[in-house]
Amino acid sequence: MKCHIPGPNVKVLGRTIHALARFGDELYLESLSDCILLRTLNAAESAYAMVKFNKNFFSYFNYNFYSTDENEGLKCKISMKSALNTFKSPTHMDKQVENLEIKLDPVSCKLIFQLKCKHGIVKTHYVSTLDCKAMQAIYTKDLVPNRITSSQRMLTEALSNFQNSDDQVTLEVSSQSLLMRNYIDSNLDLCKIIRTQINIKPSEFDSYMIGTETIITFTLKEFRALLAFAEALSLPLQLHFEVTGKPAVFIVHNGSTFEAHFVLATSKPDVATQASTQASSQIDKKRKENFSSHERSAKKKPHMDVEIRKCLEDDSHLFNDIEVPEDVCTEKGQNVSQAHFVERNMDCDDIPASPTSRIKIKSVFKRCFESTFDPRSIQGVVLAENSDSD
Amino acid sequence: MKFRAVMIDTGPMREFSNIVTTISKLSKECVMRLSDDKLYFIVSEDNSGPTPPVLWCEIPQDMFFSEYQMIGIDEDHKDIYLGVVSANLARSLMTLKSAKCLKIKLTKKQCPCLTLEIEMPSSTSQQTRQVTHDIPVIVVPRKLWSEFQEPRVPQPDISIELPTLKQLRTTVDRMRTMSPEIVIRASSEGRLTLQIKTSMAKVSTRFKDLRVEAFEGPIDHSDSETESQTNEDMSNVCYCRVDAKKFSIFLSADQISHNQTMCSIVHKKLIILCLQTEENVKLQFFITGIVY
Repeated sequence: MKCHIPGPNVKVLGRTIHALARFGDELYLESLSDCILLRTLNAAESAYAMVKFNKNFFSYFNYNFYSTDENEGLKCKISMKSALNTFKSPTHMDKQVENLEIKLDPVSCKLIFQLKCKHGIVKTHYVSTLDCKAMQAIYTKDLVPNRITSSQRMLTEALSNFQNSDDQVTLEVSSQSLLMRNYIDSNLDLCKIIRTQINIKPSEFDSYMIGTETIITFTLKEFRALLAFAEALSLPLQLHFEVTGKPAVFIVHNGSTFEAHFVLATSKPDVATQASTQASSQIDKKRKENFSSHERSAKKKPHMDVEIRKCLEDDSHLFNDIEVPEDVCTEKGQNVSQAHFVERNMDCDDIPASPTSRIKIKSVFKRCFESTFDPRSIQGVVLAENSDSD
Repeated sequence: MKFRAVMIDTGPMREFSNIVTTISKLSKECVMRLSDDKLYFIVSEDNSGPTPPVLWCEIPQDMFFSEYQMIGIDEDHKDIYLGVVSANLARSLMTLKSAKCLKIKLTKKQCPCLTLEIEMPSSTSQQTRQVTHDIPVIVVPRKLWSEFQEPRVPQPDISIELPTLKQLRTTVDRMRTMSPEIVIRASSEGRLTLQIKTSMAKVSTRFKDLRVEAFEGPIDHSDSETESQTNEDMSNVCYCRVDAKKFSIFLSADQISHNQTMCSIVHKKLIILCLQTEENVKLQFFITGIVY
């Protein structure tokens, strides 16, 4: 593969790499006949990003340069750190860089980034490729019932209302309004966490189409990363999603030049703790009952977890790898995690409920607490009396 | 117990946000006391037994809120005392500077909460957005109310007006890097001196021609700890040694628009810094002196 990128586009590529760096630690590169794909997956396998640069992004594009096969382009994986090193400060790049050439050196298996800057400076980065395989995720983008388009500014403003310590956000969408709440893990003490809720009206969005009313929850870290990406490029953001459990796709695109898909896994929010903050006092009583019943059912927690685990299992099917022989390791990893889930389920079933009080033990083992010898049980003459009371 | 207040003017909203931000820098937790005519923020020294408050802030409710209703427990205990984590409150109020309206209510949702309903104008359309924050609070039991009364301080020996807080803050921040303690000296001739001493250097900054509000007679320096400077009548000078960090935190209150800051010193024992704003907000800060 060999391609040339003109100056202004290098900045876009730099910003893309920075955004992808906030997702995962490894960058997958694939070149096809009409585009280049950059993909990454985060460590928890709950977020996936894919950016596609079309042919017109490049000033020169030859996807199967150096390869023997007519149709085969480049497929490789590089470490994100090396990629970040090449694009250290994207803000200054458009002024200094005139041209960037990316090509693969098949002899040494290195990807060469050559930056031709002003004043005749040439910076060359030799990045080792870690692997030669591709990665692809399966997700539905177009056949989804819910689609929202909005400017990133509005979402960034909305997010500024949340605390820095919040790590997940819940979106409750209906045709009349969108509620954004911070997600509270049921393990945390409710009396210490501040709850924030924002009510956004549909008219604030550029387009708002809700086919199915639903509640989705996803992590804020990756959401903030993709919002920063959209902000840097001043592009609107599209959100396509279905229902709880199915992944949500965020799309940023610039017409025909490039398209970025950010896929975040969604989880089922805990019903008892996600009480709407606008509940009236009567509903409060009901919530209280729900909450106390939630506490009582805490002993059954392992079973509840099974449900959540199943949802996560569904999410992990999202990242099915194609081309079995090459992707054995990732699939293996998936199988291992699935086996792990099954194991956990079994462990949960086997654990008996712990006894509730000591009194029960004493009544069960009453005989053990009594003295073994009862002098009244001896009939007849006592030949040797006890020398002491023991 | 009920509480409901509405704020609609931008000036008070900004002030309120600045006051809470300053308090959050000082301490993680603070107590909000709500009474009929005033809203108080009280910060005490870290929770180890009854100690006099470190920060006492009075906000007259009629200047800040357009609507203010509160009902206490009963006739004898009219006020409401709430313990709140100041960082939470500060972060939620940060967006207040561009907000249209703020409503504060005391509610009960799984635990007592202070609900803030903020209406934010949207930058993209003419609509407003409704943001709701539920901040969990702890209701302070009546037996602890005596700890949160207005502190009775001894009559200060001198009260002098401070120069611009921003100037002071930059000076003190530089001094802080060299020494953890700072000596504040004030003389009845209108001179304020900030002094630090390290093993290698002695640095002092003098501000002169400051207005002296009150001076309670000649100070007794017979314990000969004082270093007298030439041409200075020591009986007119009193000083106090305090922790530089605490002093600096108070000076970060320069965000709050004020028209008067007064420093009162009880010789060697206590420094009281008092900030007053146009809306009659009184912020008092007590720093105990370090005595060797």
